[in-house]
Amino acid sequence: MKQPLIEFKDFTFRYKSQTEATLHDINLTIYEHQKVLILGASGSGKSTLAHCINGLIPFSFEGEIKGSCRVAGIETINASIFDLSKQVGTVLQDSDAQFVGLSVGEDIAFSLENENVLRKEMLTKVLDAATVVGMQDFLAAVPYRLSGGQKQKVSLAGVIHEDVQILLFDEPLASLDPAMGKTAIELIDDLYKLNQKTVLIIEHRLEDVLHRPIDRVILMDEGRIVADTTPDELLVSDLLLTYGIREPLYLSALKHAGCEVLASDGPCDVFTMDLSRFEDKLKAFEDRYVASIDKQFSQKLIEVNDVSFAYDKTKVLKNVSFDIHRGEKIAIIGKNGAGKSTMAKMLCGVIRPDEGQIRINQNDYLQMTIKELGEMIGYVMQNPNQMLVKDIIKDEVGLALKLRKMTDEQIDERVSEVLQICNLHSMRNWPVSAVSYGQRKRITIAAILALKPTVILLDEPTAGQDHRHYTEILSFLKELHETMNLTILFITHDMHLAIEYTDRAIVFADGECIRDDQVFRVLSDPDIIERANLKQTSLYSLAKRIGRTPEALIDQFITLERQGKR
Amino acid sequence: MKDKFLINIVPGDTFLHKLSGSTKVRLFVVLLVFITMSFDLRLILPVFVLTLIGVISAKPNWKQVKVIMSVVIFFNLLNIFLFYVANPTVGEYWCNQLTIIGQLNNYFVFPVETFWYLFVRLIKMLTNFMVSLWFITTITPSEFAAGLYSLGVPYKVCTVVSLGFRYIPDIARDYENIKISMQLRGVEMDAKRTKISERLKQMVLILVPLIITSFDRVQTIANGMDLRGYGRNKKRTYYCEHESTNADKIFQFLTLLLFIFSIGYIMGVNIWPPQTNMWCPIDWR
Amino acid sequence: MKKSLGSLLLGKWDTPTVVAVAIGAALFGVLMNYGSITVFTNTRLTTAMLVPVIVGGLFGALPAAVACFFGNVFADLLGGWGYWFDWSTGNAVLGFLVGMLPVYGANIKEGKFDVKHAVIFAVIAVLANMVAFGVVTPIMTVLLYGGELTITFMQSFAASLSNITVLILAGIPLLYALAKRYAKGTNLSRE
Repeated sequence: MKQPLIEFKDFTFRYKSQTEATLHDINLTIYEHQKVLILGASGSGKSTLAHCINGLIPFSFEGEIKGSCRVAGIETINASIFDLSKQVGTVLQDSDAQFVGLSVGEDIAFSLENENVLRKEMLTKVLDAATVVGMQDFLAAVPYRLSGGQKQKVSLAGVIHEDVQILLFDEPLASLDPAMGKTAIELIDDLYKLNQKTVLIIEHRLEDVLHRPIDRVILMDEGRIVADTTPDELLVSDLLLTYGIREPLYLSALKHAGCEVLASDGPCDVFTMDLSRFEDKLKAFEDRYVASIDKQFSQKLIEVNDVSFAYDKTKVLKNVSFDIHRGEKIAIIGKNGAGKSTMAKMLCGVIRPDEGQIRINQNDYLQMTIKELGEMIGYVMQNPNQMLVKDIIKDEVGLALKLRKMTDEQIDERVSEVLQICNLHSMRNWPVSAVSYGQRKRITIAAILALKPTVILLDEPTAGQDHRHYTEILSFLKELHETMNLTILFITHDMHLAIEYTDRAIVFADGECIRDDQVFRVLSDPDIIERANLKQTSLYSLAKRIGRTPEALIDQFITLERQGKR
Repeated sequence: MKDKFLINIVPGDTFLHKLSGSTKVRLFVVLLVFITMSFDLRLILPVFVLTLIGVISAKPNWKQVKVIMSVVIFFNLLNIFLFYVANPTVGEYWCNQLTIIGQLNNYFVFPVETFWYLFVRLIKMLTNFMVSLWFITTITPSEFAAGLYSLGVPYKVCTVVSLGFRYIPDIARDYENIKISMQLRGVEMDAKRTKISERLKQMVLILVPLIITSFDRVQTIANGMDLRGYGRNKKRTYYCEHESTNADKIFQFLTLLLFIFSIGYIMGVNIWPPQTNMWCPIDWR
Repeated sequence: MKKSLGSLLLGKWDTPTVVAVAIGAALFGVLMNYGSITVFTNTRLTTAMLVPVIVGGLFGALPAAVACFFGNVFADLLGGWGYWFDWSTGNAVLGFLVGMLPVYGANIKEGKFDVKHAVIFAVIAVLANMVAFGVVTPIMTVLLYGGELTITFMQSFAASLSNITVLILAGIPLLYALAKRYAKGTNLSRE
């Protein structure tokens, strides 16, 4: 019989600053050597649960605790965070914040330094830990040179010295691109298998976590555990829909094809699930395929022609050319450092091409100032908090107009128009600090729309958002696109976004534009997927399994998803 | 921009780079005391020459060093000029005599002693700059922190040095991004087109989001540190602080000698008997 | 919850304080290097001086002084101007004094900053500069570098003037803006 390692009994927790409890009556036992996914939308209490396990509650977050929580036999209320850290290794969501050293070696050594370990012993321990995660050749590397995935590996190496029993991953996929996310899940699984650890993964991106097997899924909602089951059972239930978790794409496709999947089919893995019952239906589904027609856009808005750019002699853009038409929705894709942010900065006029030309609306872009370009192309940053300046919503939205010295009446009129469109009018006098992250995002978009740009450029608009907020933001943008005939450029590595909401993808790798095509074709090209650090969608794998061309299946799926949203 | 700092984050491989943090910090502090305590060119000049050799041996980014050097030299010359304008006979105080070799009018006289004093002062200021420069070009922020710790500074204060430096490039990048987004919204950054009062107002527009987002991450970083045992013990060790090599031992010994000499000098020359004279090579009278 | 004067001045020095001081120092260094306007020799009109105000407002006066001191060190490490302990010390003293916001009841995190606080802040800003650059720095300069008082005072005067300008003209609006941004809205109703 396996030993219980984590035991919650009638556990309730309320943060000091809040009136209502965040966790209610948690009863949960996790045994040794289990691999558990704690699943839930934002605000479901899953992160709070994690804080209770690693001791940040009550150490850093004060509040009221009822009931009992024992981790490796230690009652956490009485334990120090330091004792718990010898049992639980936590890898935080924000790998940039967890990386406190000035080099990889230093960061891995951080807990040893704090333990006052002699440097001689430290060197071997650091090397060992780095080897476990495959970072042994990067010990001298500085954080600014590492990718998100590498930083995460370093964070992981930094918490395994003590031979912890439990590894806790708080949203490990949040800041990674698809390929890095895949590698992270594989690394977690290897650690689990090799070292007999107990692994807890806190996530809302179910399909990506299921890339490797999971023993058990705990589904949370509003501070309660609403399901405690196996992945297969979960996938065939209606729990995902009820609690705002995105269903894996291949399952959506099977449903589109009219298949009724059962837990006994083993649906948690697209490669191994039993498809024998569905093959005919799927093939029939694909036979109904009618190639979608490339949407025709007539008016060229932006023409980028053979543009190159270098920072200190390193070329970051090499002979890039593409056109953007009025009304298009385009995904700009590529891994970090591929040149997509540089391209975005260039479109905004902050940097100008060394070679080549850009024409906007037939005008020479070099003649336009940043301010003038700002009226054509609106740029929405990833983190709304980096954009918000004013305390009252309507002042924030009117700021750009005020800076352009418009009269108060003009400003009022324009602001209230934009607020109406963005559905913020009833909140116009609210303080910015009072609204949620998603609403802040909406405010920043409104603030950009106040200048009536023809194009808006959004940097990772869905990063870190759960399925509900993701849908909310994107349907809002879709609405804007329709009502205002906006042209929208998404800089993103969210493939779902690209599939569901864009007409075309422009793919960057090493400063070059390596593909400019419809999304389904991009995603059916293994070479592009490899070079842009993307991940093959499960639709691709599904099509391969029934021996059909992925392109058709992906295209048809996209068409259906857009038509009805079931 | 993150590559344009004068200080290196990655340890270099020259002789001075390879000294341990505590050796370098000690030497730096003692040299600062040494250079501050006297106006004796016989003491200052060797330090100037040695630190200059030190800087050259560290193979810094010359393009950048040149810019900084010319600015420093310019400002120091300007300062020296102002000193002269403020009191052309300041040399009398330092040399107890005044040998006037010419004059522009009754006020602007040309005493040799004043020129001597101003010359020594210029060398002293430049040496002070060179002492900082060799230190900056040979140390990494982590070694700096470790070195301070070895001097008995509480490690929470030392953490400010290494951790602060860790987030400088991140904050610099945020600053750039926020600036860009504000520019697109209509903030005019061109110095020629705006008055200073206007620019201050616009600075506030950039600062509000920069400050809020910078301090937003405090709790997360602190959590990550607490979870790895930060603040648990009274003492800590440093990964970057290697054991003393022979070179370290020799340098530390020399530093100690220099320190003892400095203390003696300060006690014997600066404090008692109080003395304001400086060494002049020739008696011009 | 009433905190003692000592804890308001010295700060708590738990991990978040250490991190905040580090981030504050980093911000100071960045603003010193990128966000400043040169007005006179050795003196730049810089918004960096606002950082200790914020650190002080959030964590107490000593953390503000430490952030300010190391911020200066960072600026030197980045820009390499050489260390001038007379000025660093003056800055640290200034940081301590302008960082005393919690002592007179201003609380940025809870949105408390009103006209009364602004007036006290302005008075302190002026006095603090007089103490830091009218007394501390000149004394240090004369002691350490045997400087000329007239010139030191000229430089001090220019530095104080630019600091006071920044602290009052940009600092007060910034404090207002931050206090409002941090304030939790009450009685919100849709209109």
